[in-house]
Amino acid sequence: MAGGTRSATSEDLATRPGRDTVLSIAVRWTLITISLVFLAALLLAPLATVFTAALEKGFQAYLDSFTDPDTRSAIVLTLKTAAIVVPLNTLFGLTASWCVAKFEFRGKSFLITLIDLPLAVSPVISGLVYVLLFGLQGWFGVWLQDHDISIIFALPGIILATMFVTFPYVARELIPLMQQLGNDEEEAALTLGAGGWITFFRVTLPKVRWGLVYGVILCNARAMGEFGAVSVVSGHVRGLTNTMPLHIEILYQEYSFVGAFAVASLLTLLAVITLIIKTLVERTGYKRR
Amino acid sequence: MKPFRQPSVLPGFGLTFGFTTFFLSAVVLLPLAALVLQTASMDWDHFVRVIFHPRAIGSYRLSFGASALAATINLVFGFIIAWTLVRYEFPGRKIIDALIDMPFALPTAVSGIALTTVFAQNGWIGQYLEAWGIKVAYTWIGVTVALTLIGMPFMVRTVQPALQEVQRELEDAAETLGANKLYVLRRIIFPTVLPAMLTGFTLAFARAVGEYGSVIFIAGNLPMKTEITPLLIVIRLEEFDYKGAAALGFVMLVISFVVLLTINLLQAWGRRRLVASSR
Amino acid sequence: MSITLDQVTKRYQGAPVVNDVSIDIGDGEFFVLLGPSGSGKSTLLRAIAGLTGVDHGRIALHGRDVTHVSPRDRGVGLVFQNYALFRHMTVAENIEFALRVRRVKAGARKKRREELLRLVALEGMDQRLPAQLSGGQQQRVAVARALAHQPEVLLLDEPFGALDAKIREELRRTIRQVQRELRISTVLVTHDQEEAFALADRIGVMNLGRLLEMGKPDDLYARPATRFVATFLGAANLLLAKQTARGVMFGEASVANRTSEPPANSREQEVVAVLRPEEVELAPSRTSLGESYMTDGIVEEILFSGALERMRVRLANGVAAMNVVRAENGAENGAYLEVTRTQHEHRMFPLTPGQSVAIGIRRLHVLPTPLSSFTVCAPTEASAQALSRHPLLIELASRMKTRVGLRVEAAIGIETEPRDGTTAFAGAAVIAPDGYTIKRVEWLLGQGAEEVLVLPPQTNPPHRVLIHWVDEGARRATLAVSASFLRHVSAEAIYIGILPNTAPDAQRPQGMRALLDARSEAQAVHGLEMRTELRFGDVAGELIRQLAETPEQMLILGISDILVLAEQFHSLFDVLPARPILVVYQAPDAPSRE
Repeated sequence: MAGGTRSATSEDLATRPGRDTVLSIAVRWTLITISLVFLAALLLAPLATVFTAALEKGFQAYLDSFTDPDTRSAIVLTLKTAAIVVPLNTLFGLTASWCVAKFEFRGKSFLITLIDLPLAVSPVISGLVYVLLFGLQGWFGVWLQDHDISIIFALPGIILATMFVTFPYVARELIPLMQQLGNDEEEAALTLGAGGWITFFRVTLPKVRWGLVYGVILCNARAMGEFGAVSVVSGHVRGLTNTMPLHIEILYQEYSFVGAFAVASLLTLLAVITLIIKTLVERTGYKRR
Repeated sequence: MKPFRQPSVLPGFGLTFGFTTFFLSAVVLLPLAALVLQTASMDWDHFVRVIFHPRAIGSYRLSFGASALAATINLVFGFIIAWTLVRYEFPGRKIIDALIDMPFALPTAVSGIALTTVFAQNGWIGQYLEAWGIKVAYTWIGVTVALTLIGMPFMVRTVQPALQEVQRELEDAAETLGANKLYVLRRIIFPTVLPAMLTGFTLAFARAVGEYGSVIFIAGNLPMKTEITPLLIVIRLEEFDYKGAAALGFVMLVISFVVLLTINLLQAWGRRRLVASSR
Repeated sequence: MSITLDQVTKRYQGAPVVNDVSIDIGDGEFFVLLGPSGSGKSTLLRAIAGLTGVDHGRIALHGRDVTHVSPRDRGVGLVFQNYALFRHMTVAENIEFALRVRRVKAGARKKRREELLRLVALEGMDQRLPAQLSGGQQQRVAVARALAHQPEVLLLDEPFGALDAKIREELRRTIRQVQRELRISTVLVTHDQEEAFALADRIGVMNLGRLLEMGKPDDLYARPATRFVATFLGAANLLLAKQTARGVMFGEASVANRTSEPPANSREQEVVAVLRPEEVELAPSRTSLGESYMTDGIVEEILFSGALERMRVRLANGVAAMNVVRAENGAENGAYLEVTRTQHEHRMFPLTPGQSVAIGIRRLHVLPTPLSSFTVCAPTEASAQALSRHPLLIELASRMKTRVGLRVEAAIGIETEPRDGTTAFAGAAVIAPDGYTIKRVEWLLGQGAEEVLVLPPQTNPPHRVLIHWVDEGARRATLAVSASFLRHVSAEAIYIGILPNTAPDAQRPQGMRALLDARSEAQAVHGLEMRTELRFGDVAGELIRQLAETPEQMLILGISDILVLAEQFHSLFDVLPARPILVVYQAPDAPSRE
């Protein structure tokens, strides 16, 4: 996901006198129209639908859908999952980026490729692998059952699957950023007497803060919105092992459209906020590679 | 014998390397290994039977076919959108530009139900298409529409920087030499953005093949007709046919790797060409 | 001694980047490490700071051995070339960083910060961010930051590289002032000799990882010991000449010893002389110059350059052979002198291009280097040409700024009696090895060549040079030649002392002592830093074993008896053809070189 475009266009247009032939104006507006129609149909219409469908029966009905206890527990479960997964993956991202950016060792690019792996894998596979590990017929299935520990069809499984899927997000932002910013400041800190931890917290972390924010919000958006992987490992038990996306599915399939879209509207708002923060971060000058 | 790592004065290698590899193994490698090993423990006949089962083949046709079609649609429209965003000014451009990333940030279930509603028989768009006899929801067309949506940001965001790279001076030079705009488009612009377009295509394709959430609502999920491969895997799991699911999953994993490799190669090719041609 | 470096070596992928460097820097001294890019000076500085490890050697700060101490605990202040300021902290926070780490209280920190800001003339800039400062200001902050914790040693890595001329001069003054005020031992790394002259109490010139020469700026300028230093510190004309009893001779002309030192011996030998452009005197005729007359010439080019007049004067035809060639094209050209005159001289004797002049020498400095030039010797024209294009030879010639001559001798080594009328050799002879190698070497040495380089085709520049002399008579010459050679090749030097296997244990300490003597003589007399190793066994066998270890090695073998080559070293030349061998011959009756 790259950032937005520079606006070199108006400058370009101004320095190209005599270019505005009728044909070129026509072409320009045709292309603009095509783009807008395409995006309207595919992107804007669904976005708008979420809110119109949620508010179809009026604002009160919209609010009432959040009083449903199952809906509430779905929201709580989603928040819990994010609250565990995002910090853990952030910790991983920070550790991995320090390891990769500050040191030279053999197999480094292999390590980076491995970190990117979950991005290439279908979400269903991401859930499947945990079922194969911890499900009843999985490797550890019998052992877990004997010890009365449930991973699949319970919170731990959901957390693991979500972690798999969102694993690379923070690391992918921080690694190129740290590599680009170099080691000079850290070396300077060393000569001034600082140890590893102080250098990390007072010199490195502030340097990469915008990349960190970027990675964290992406990680969070994905963690809260993940559907496929969680669907496989969850038991779809209402009120217990349903995250918000799963709950949306349930409501939709039993034709409670208002409820479904109400929950969807929350997630959509989250997406919008994520995009806003992303744009603000890009304004600070942070450039993605 | 080259040492494992170059000695460095900054501290923390042992700790960070250890933690990184541990975490990586536990979260990513171990589970994937389980998949591979489960598949390996199947005997060959069973494996072949599962992955070539007619229902599986039907799902491949849909998953890969629709993904390819969607990626192709994105090739055309993605290019147009990228071109429009890079070259033209119009009111709301900045907002549209920011919204391109929406399918990235939006949960797949949300886009799934929203798309279904929009393209259903009585939906905002669906009703007009219905009038012309085109059914979108619960058909393979709907699947394609959903896959187009989720692949769109990949295409646009890959082509945009490539278009920005195209130096306007080159176009001007070509025009002073007598080329018309179409020629410039064909001979100067396309070659520069071609690697990016191919990369975008591959990325969109890869994402589409594995997509689940956006598709299952609009698909209808009739076996052999509108059932995508990821759904088939889920169904096998629900039937407790772990091995069957693992086999199908393995096939998808292999495809993912091949695609990943292709993307890397394309990007390397693109870098070489860009460096060689424009400087 | 504030900073002591002892045989510091750092290797990168086999080749030494810092090669056996030993320096002693006194309290409060401002020492400048000067050298071109890639000479290893920055690496050496980082090694002193502790940011790079060393593969060999010792580093001591104020008597404390810090070789294995982390940079945190060394008590140094390092100023980076690109400032490396903490970009998200204000100037005040940057400067106070070292104090915060040491948990100094806020009040004391503030006081120290203000002191330092005053020192670097940046009062009032406390709350600025680095991005809001100019390059020169950022550098001052970097200096202040490095001094906050009162380090014992201040290190600066090309601190003014990224700034423009005027700012550079200002900052130089500031640094000098700060250093004097604080009386802190300082090492500054630069490639700009003007900067070195302006700042240094002493300069150490580095090239290819070696510390070539150390000394006060004016000493190094007036009396350099090596070609490299002579040309690096300022424009210089390098001339090949003959050192004779009558003085230094250029062709037929003799300059009645306008040298800084009297000649070391009375024997004729080829030498390299340094003539600075400002020490050339131009006059209308020979008579005005008197004893300092060298030759005639024609003014070719004149460049007005502000305070000075720069000229290029082509030397008269008869003496064209004497100039040292810029070996880029290998051919003999450029028999010209660079001359600089003051405006006063210009007014006294104006010149125009094309005018004839008489050229005189005010002051000449003879470089005490024995390796002056190379002469390729081969039986046929074609093989001579091929050998002269050997990469190692070309590299040597270009680094030494000397020429590679060609001589086709069809019968090298076949005749044992030197023919009459054969011109004697000058400089080092170069041959390719074949079945007659020893005979050829003997022949060449008999003809007057003092060194013979046996150069196999397809050899890479060596990373390691082994040195051995067969008997003490050859010691001095071998060391002198080795020193000269190693200044122009990035390789480690190891002297191999070999005692026979049958030597009783009692002889061992004697052997060790001989090693130490060799090492200290190499260092004191020839300016060569080398490692030493003691071996037991047959000389040729041990050398072969050592050389066989890796391909990038070379041997410098010193002898005082030509016959010993055939007797003892047959196997060396025949069994091991693929290593370059430089044979140094010190005839017993000839006075020593250098």
